[in-house]
Amino acid sequence: MKKVMVEHLKYRYPGTEKLALDDVSFEVEEGELIGIVGRNLSGKSTLAQAIVGLVPHFYRGAYGGKVIVDGIEVLHSTVSDISRKAGIVFQNPFTQVTGSKLTVYEEVAFGLENLGVPRSEMMERIDEALTLLGIYDFRHANPFDLSGGQMQRMAIASIIAMRPEVIILDEPTSQLDPQGTEEVFLAVQRLSREGMTVLLIEHKLEKVARYADKVLWLDEGKVMAYDSPSKVFSRDDLEEHGLAAPIYTQICKALKLKSPDGETYPVTLEGAYEVLKRWN
Amino acid sequence: MKSISLYVDRQSFLHRIDPISKIYYIVAAILVPILYPSLTVAFAVMVISLILLFLGKVIRQTLSVYGFVFLVLITVLIIQTLFYPGNETPVYRIGQVVLYREGFFYALTISFRVINIVTSFLILVFTTRSADLVESLVRKGLSPRFGYVIASVFQIVPEMMSAMGRITDAQRSRGMETEGKLSVRMKAFLPLIGPVVLSSLLNVKERALALEVRGFNAKGKKTFLNEEKNFLAPTAVQWSLLAVILIAIIWRIIQ
Amino acid sequence: MKRKSVWSFQFTTASLVLIPAAVGINYIGKLFAGVLKLPLWLDSIGTVLASMLAGPIIGAISGAINNIIYGLTMDPISFVYGITSVFIGLVAGVLAYKGWIGNWGKAVVAGLLVGLTAVIISTPLNVWFWGGQTGNFWGDALFAAVMANTHSLWLASFLDELVVDLVDKVLVVLVSYAIYKGLPHNILQLYTGDHHVESLDK
Repeated sequence: MKKVMVEHLKYRYPGTEKLALDDVSFEVEEGELIGIVGRNLSGKSTLAQAIVGLVPHFYRGAYGGKVIVDGIEVLHSTVSDISRKAGIVFQNPFTQVTGSKLTVYEEVAFGLENLGVPRSEMMERIDEALTLLGIYDFRHANPFDLSGGQMQRMAIASIIAMRPEVIILDEPTSQLDPQGTEEVFLAVQRLSREGMTVLLIEHKLEKVARYADKVLWLDEGKVMAYDSPSKVFSRDDLEEHGLAAPIYTQICKALKLKSPDGETYPVTLEGAYEVLKRWN
Repeated sequence: MKSISLYVDRQSFLHRIDPISKIYYIVAAILVPILYPSLTVAFAVMVISLILLFLGKVIRQTLSVYGFVFLVLITVLIIQTLFYPGNETPVYRIGQVVLYREGFFYALTISFRVINIVTSFLILVFTTRSADLVESLVRKGLSPRFGYVIASVFQIVPEMMSAMGRITDAQRSRGMETEGKLSVRMKAFLPLIGPVVLSSLLNVKERALALEVRGFNAKGKKTFLNEEKNFLAPTAVQWSLLAVILIAIIWRIIQ
Repeated sequence: MKRKSVWSFQFTTASLVLIPAAVGINYIGKLFAGVLKLPLWLDSIGTVLASMLAGPIIGAISGAINNIIYGLTMDPISFVYGITSVFIGLVAGVLAYKGWIGNWGKAVVAGLLVGLTAVIISTPLNVWFWGGQTGNFWGDALFAAVMANTHSLWLASFLDELVVDLVDKVLVVLVSYAIYKGLPHNILQLYTGDHHVESLDK
């Protein structure tokens, strides 16, 4: 079943001239993990916010085409209604903390209170989300006392507890230290294994190659490619558009070592290892 | 996480009174002496407020607030006793300086009023958790979005203050002068406050986005994670206080 | 209750979240003034900025909540002066809307007007609460001098407040204008109040 359908989406922020998204179309199947890549200002974050309805409802501006999330059309819904279907986690863990709640437990409850979820169900959902993200032990802590990685996992838990069909993560680790980054990626992997549909914006292409089923590559608001990681990252025009292929791909490319399919290069450490082993 | 709240956690009956009742008390404590402008009434209401604060077991924590109040009241006493426009009856003379009876009583009225009002607010502030106050107001019908605004200040302000500490250190280490002549100190103000303001306004946008995707503007009834707190007979206390206010007003009108 | 919720619909999330930030900016202004030992309060920069960005209503609410929070956390007397803060927000918002905070010269005039508003609202409060004083040393010294010479409590109180407030508010508006001028486009855009989405479909 298709969870996200984007058709000829065009968008321009108010007070600007250039289209931030220019005729973007793609579809996401239930349970897929999609990596979204592209250089700065390529439209990745705008696209993410278009799926949850912040574009156009928060910013206004000029909009064309269609985004359908789990059967509802974004343009004709409100951000609150869409929040039951699609959730988003942003880069900065600090500004995602509401600031109005004194414990992690209450913080996760914020969205559920707003949506009017009954109290008993609320607690069940919060327990589940905190456990899934591995922060149940911190449930009584003040949100601002958490480390960056813990705070970001709390942000994910806050969205997961709202039980959306799709979760979008917009560079969730860009402001975290290596340990926090690892914690968050493990959490994302766990969500995906649970069957959640995940869209992950990430500039560390090694991570995308490792976790994503498919890669959506954007440049200047347009779709450059929507295919398997190995196909996308084997392309020769990555650098020309400000992207550096995963380090494993670069090495294999330099050594002219293709994957067994004879078309693409390895994109993960394991893939590169296999190829190098055979080469030896 | 440092807190900016003045709340003091104690076991007292005032801590078990609901926040709305305490707001009613403030209204009553301000209104009654206005409706009955006499020194006796002002004194009586002040004493009641002070006894309540004492029963709240927080009087020691409130001393610093009273410190400032008393300092100003002493100057009020001096200035009014000397210069009050209605001064007629001299009671004491030190050389050229004359102390007057009218000014003295006027200063006394002011003192009772100030202490009464300050104390009635202190009762609310020192014995009420700010989160409870906001939740009570929202249950009473305050828009939850405004409830959010008030509740978030308590945490966002300390966050901004720690950002302020970082920026001050950074600017000083770059050699900015923050001491010396007044003009030097004035010039330092803008470069110090500018970056904190800018980053907090950028945060406003990010926080607004994060709130929206968590149903901040959802229509329909919202629910509460916490069960309504068990306060001491809130309806009875609130109605009694309302009755006091009403009786005072009616009494005033028919007199 | 019904009416309240209608009101709250008119406030966008961006303008509501601006309120706690405005209160925080007020706090920080006051703290920096203290750190630099400036003889001024400078504690309404957030309120004035909120008014300039999101209009008089948000500015007024920022002022009110500022004094409520201030009363709850530091100094209960500030509850009494909440009305003054509300008017500072209202006047600054209206002036900004009319374009009177558009250059440095105008900003000085706007600062004087905001200051005068604060004085006019605060003086009766001072007279009622403190018998006319402000609690500021130099202001109160002037108060005593004027009382001794003119026997007019109102004039004394007015001048007491005037010396403290006027300079303060002019500087507050100037600082706010300096910061406002440097704000990036994407922050200003949040508060333009354009609720229309243009269609790019043919």
